Amino acid sequence: MDELGRVRELYGEPSLDPLARARVRERLTAAPRRRRRRLTGMVALAGAVAVAAATLIALPDPEISGPGRSILLAAAHSAESGGEVSGAYWRVRKLIRRTYPERLGSGYWMVESRLAELWVARDGRVWAGARSLGVRPRTPADELAWRKDGAPTAWPGLPGDPGKGTLTATGGVPFSMAGQGMTIDQIRDLPADPGRLRALVEPLGEGLVADALSGLLWSKPSPPEVRAAAYRALADLPEVRYLGERTDEQGRRGAAFSFALPDPPGTRRTLIIDSATSRVLSSVTDAPGILNDQTELVLEAGWTDRKPAAP
Amino acid sequence: MAWAGNPRQEVEDAEAIRRSLDEAEWFSVIFDGHFAEIHRYVAQRLGPGSAEDVVAETFLAAFRRRARYDPARATVRAWLYGIATNVIHRHRRVEVRMLRALGRHGPDPDLPGHEERVAVRVSAQSLRPSIAAAVAGLAQRDRDVLLLVALAELSHEEIAEALGIPYGTVGSRLSRARRKLRAVLGERNPMLDRREGEDG
Repeated sequence: MDELGRVRELYGEPSLDPLARARVRERLTAAPRRRRRRLTGMVALAGAVAVAAATLIALPDPEISGPGRSILLAAAHSAESGGEVSGAYWRVRKLIRRTYPERLGSGYWMVESRLAELWVARDGRVWAGARSLGVRPRTPADELAWRKDGAPTAWPGLPGDPGKGTLTATGGVPFSMAGQGMTIDQIRDLPADPGRLRALVEPLGEGLVADALSGLLWSKPSPPEVRAAAYRALADLPEVRYLGERTDEQGRRGAAFSFALPDPPGTRRTLIIDSATSRVLSSVTDAPGILNDQTELVLEAGWTDRKPAAP
Repeated sequence: MAWAGNPRQEVEDAEAIRRSLDEAEWFSVIFDGHFAEIHRYVAQRLGPGSAEDVVAETFLAAFRRRARYDPARATVRAWLYGIATNVIHRHRRVEVRMLRALGRHGPDPDLPGHEERVAVRVSAQSLRPSIAAAVAGLAQRDRDVLLLVALAELSHEEIAEALGIPYGTVGSRLSRARRKLRAVLGERNPMLDRREGEDG
């Protein structure tokens, strides 16, 4: 493949909302009034605690086996006994928060928040929902600098306003594991044995196994016995560290585990798990010394009979 | 892009612009005929999130400047790409962020169901980050030409029309961009990339 082919492959086909044309048309025909951007609907969700993300993950005190292991095994047990709920759609709703990777204005950091949703019908149709929740200063110090700057609500390249929710039929394969696209049926057919599950992802090399296994636990419709197997396999991985009890940004308590991600160097993912329900509550990826962290809070993940709708 | 280089379309476009001077509604022929293509191009460069603003701005600018449109100098399609390119320039930060995300994750890393880095590392070619960095590192004028060729699939002549530069300049900017990308691709042995990436 030549350079131009590589460039095309890099960009790929964007997933475009079929309603975009109508929205843009509407804006053009509604005449070009200039509207002052306001930081209005800083939705309650986003109002929570952007700051907590930073403090939450700072102090590790790794404990490799012991209580961490038994918590994962307990989660495996509750996953198994959970039974399976059915519904017409698999639906995941996540709140994503990330620090904008560049200093803004006079030199402060802002945190962007948004909702991301996935709906998958049993017949394989896929929808993605999205809604921007706006931005806010990262820390009180940032807030001070931001106010001194006149509290702007938009910057070149970073619109600060909350947006409208969108729902896009994306098509394509809804899930992936170990780099392979996965359908609902393929996830259902995964081995319920920890060893075999691990063997599936092991060829990826160290540093990737924990991420692939834990990926089965949040946002994929893995059946109870597969979830249990994933928890048991995780309990045997030495690279998974138990950090103790933590509270996520939504105020939910759980056990925090972290493992390194290979790329970029120094990055790790910290998951907070509710061992009583075996649910993964949140994920934080960060790297020491880099502010470009990302927090993902799983607000809902499960089967539902509701129809796909914009968040 | 079905009508790329379609002379009848060009005549119809030019006629619609002319009529829109008296009756603004005629401009919707231009909007309806070209929205999809321009939107796709902008969404590729800046991401779907920013694309709507930029595309709206592009058509608004086109509408305001329609009296100055000269069918002898450019097709409407090339003219619109030229305007879109100018609007994209004002969003350099978004473009850099987009390229960073493309290099690291491939399209849309936030969609639930694809969270693991694994998906990225294996399915995405290991050269992704280098190519994305190389594209981000190009001079803007070279990147414009490269992407109008690679993504919009415009001919050299259309690009000259779109950007208002001499035909020969299109070629020299494109070959400079390609040379820089080739240098990046050639430097790295894809067989070694995964290991390099894992070690950091």
